[in-house]
Amino acid sequence: MATTTVSSVPLSLNDRITAGILALLIGGFLVFGAGLANSAVLHDTAHDVRHAYGFPCH
Amino acid sequence: MIVKTLLAALVAGLIAGIFMTAAQELRVVPLILHAEEFEGKEPATEPPAGNEGQQQHSSLGRSSIIGDMLSAFSPITPAYAHEGEHEDEGGIMFGMSRFSGTLLANLVAGAGFGLLLAGASLVFNYPITLRNGALWGACGWLAVHLLPAVGLPPELPGFPAADLHDRQIWWIATIVLSVAGLYLIVLRGEIAAKIIGLVLIAAPHAYGAPQPSDISSPVPAVLGAEFAVAALATTLAFWIVLGLVSGYLNDRFLKSA
Repeated sequence: MATTTVSSVPLSLNDRITAGILALLIGGFLVFGAGLANSAVLHDTAHDVRHAYGFPCH
Repeated sequence: MIVKTLLAALVAGLIAGIFMTAAQELRVVPLILHAEEFEGKEPATEPPAGNEGQQQHSSLGRSSIIGDMLSAFSPITPAYAHEGEHEDEGGIMFGMSRFSGTLLANLVAGAGFGLLLAGASLVFNYPITLRNGALWGACGWLAVHLLPAVGLPPELPGFPAADLHDRQIWWIATIVLSVAGLYLIVLRGEIAAKIIGLVLIAAPHAYGAPQPSDISSPVPAVLGAEFAVAALATTLAFWIVLGLVSGYLNDRFLKSA
């Protein structure tokens, strides 16, 4: 662990892009559900969080 | 390997989400609750006449005591009264308390932001480590919170605001442009790339965020100012924790693989 030089993640190019896009899609889905989805139940559950993160709310 | 990378991001997000819940309960949620006491009232453009004002105050005091008693038994606090605008029934998922709703939403949002950060790192081919984790987090905060807040500052309940859909579109567009701009400024060496990055970051602000036509508000301005600072400060702490934990997990578990 002493050598913390910035090296590329040990993934092949294809794997890296696949993992990256997968992460962006799942992450975007979760953030959308917590922050933006236009459902009253989701809104009420996440109400304080939406305000606290500065999501556009109400 | 892909699964391991995603798991590391997920775990980092969950840890940051737990941390964020504690930070919010200390500073942000009390301000939201305070603002909700004013929500739905007429904007205080002129001070109410003496007698009438006292009556309003006394009735407010009574209803908030009843509200406190009700909230002790009900998972849904009266603070959600503004949900009346929606057509479908509101209420917190699974009948949870307000706090567990906040915790759950923080966990989901934390995991989401953790995955977005990891996804950006993978697509840009620039790994998150313990050393640069705080900087990754700070850039995430700039793109997702500070830069959009220039046009749409964090709102308290009861604040005047433009159409929700317009604001959400502007907000998402600003984040996407800010991420692209930050990538060009931070991770690309060429001068031209840095200039284009600045233009991308400035573009949504030159276009202008959707603003309400009437900015009078029943919520005191001091609360709004305190809330904006508290929201930005707690989200900055959240993103730095998220970046550092992501970097630590990447160093610890991905390099050895």
